[in-house]
Amino acid sequence: MDQSEVMERVVKILTPWVKDEAALGQVSMETNILEDLKVNSARLVDVVIAFEDDFDIEIADEDVDQVNTVGDAVNLISGKL
Amino acid sequence: MVRRHTLQRVVSMITSPFWLGFTIIAMRVYYRYRIADLTAVRQQYRRIRAQSDAPMLVCANHLTLVDSFIIAWALGSGLYWFRHPRELAWNTPESTNFETSWPLRLLIFVTKCIPITRGGPREDIGEVLERVKYLLSSGETALLFPEAGRSRSGRVEEDAAAWGVGRVVGAVPGCRVLCVYMRGREQETWSDFPAKGDTMDVSLVCIEPKSDAKGVRRSVDLARQVTGQLLRMEEEYFDDRK
Repeated sequence: MDQSEVMERVVKILTPWVKDEAALGQVSMETNILEDLKVNSARLVDVVIAFEDDFDIEIADEDVDQVNTVGDAVNLISGKL
Repeated sequence: MVRRHTLQRVVSMITSPFWLGFTIIAMRVYYRYRIADLTAVRQQYRRIRAQSDAPMLVCANHLTLVDSFIIAWALGSGLYWFRHPRELAWNTPESTNFETSWPLRLLIFVTKCIPITRGGPREDIGEVLERVKYLLSSGETALLFPEAGRSRSGRVEEDAAAWGVGRVVGAVPGCRVLCVYMRGREQETWSDFPAKGDTMDVSLVCIEPKSDAKGVRRSVDLARQVTGQLLRMEEEYFDDRK
């Protein structure tokens, strides 16, 4: 699975939690999940569990600390595939 | 990490008679707060403490800015905390509430606080949680509010619970969680301070959350056990008042 495919799936997974839908239209690797997409920080854990289920991977708590942008999520997931 | 907390711990202990004394006097005399069955609450706390030397994380429902101070007052006297400084909990207040001026920043330093910016960069939040884990593993006590912020509904909100509590509990072997449900009798919802003259009811239950799950799911499972306990305590509180 290449990075663009991972990114497409990441964005699809994020979509239900995104409060700024306009930002979805301009999403890039640099898009900040909390600040730009306005995902509620309390819901980040649900997003991470959805990543785990969709990609069949395991994500440690400490890994989540490194995820601020869509690109961070893509790189983290790509590294575990 | 050791040096950083040692200085804060020592300063806090030395100054505690002043800021604890001032806080308790302010709460009792100016705000006229009362803790219902205070002696019984403190006796129960000491019994719970005496049961084990395992690390203890205090988790409570969150309605006002001064919950931590009231909980400290409820669990022990100023003299008790001076004699048992490691039992006086470290707190993680929202930085934007308390870092607006240097007197407030000094206050949170001497009162064993580690400010956290909720919704802030994940690395910063992770660092605060690592510090809490270190402190618990070192024999200190910490207080975390599982809901992170003050409840906007006035009730324990399981959906709003952050999983940071689960991260800490899962990372500290044998960690016990002292669940504290505290509410002023006139407290309908969240506020900065309880109403003047209010009486607080405090209930305590100690649990030892465990989970066979892994990774983030484990932290979520542990956090839900804590919020689940607080929810049960809240139900009992309101049932008793029907």
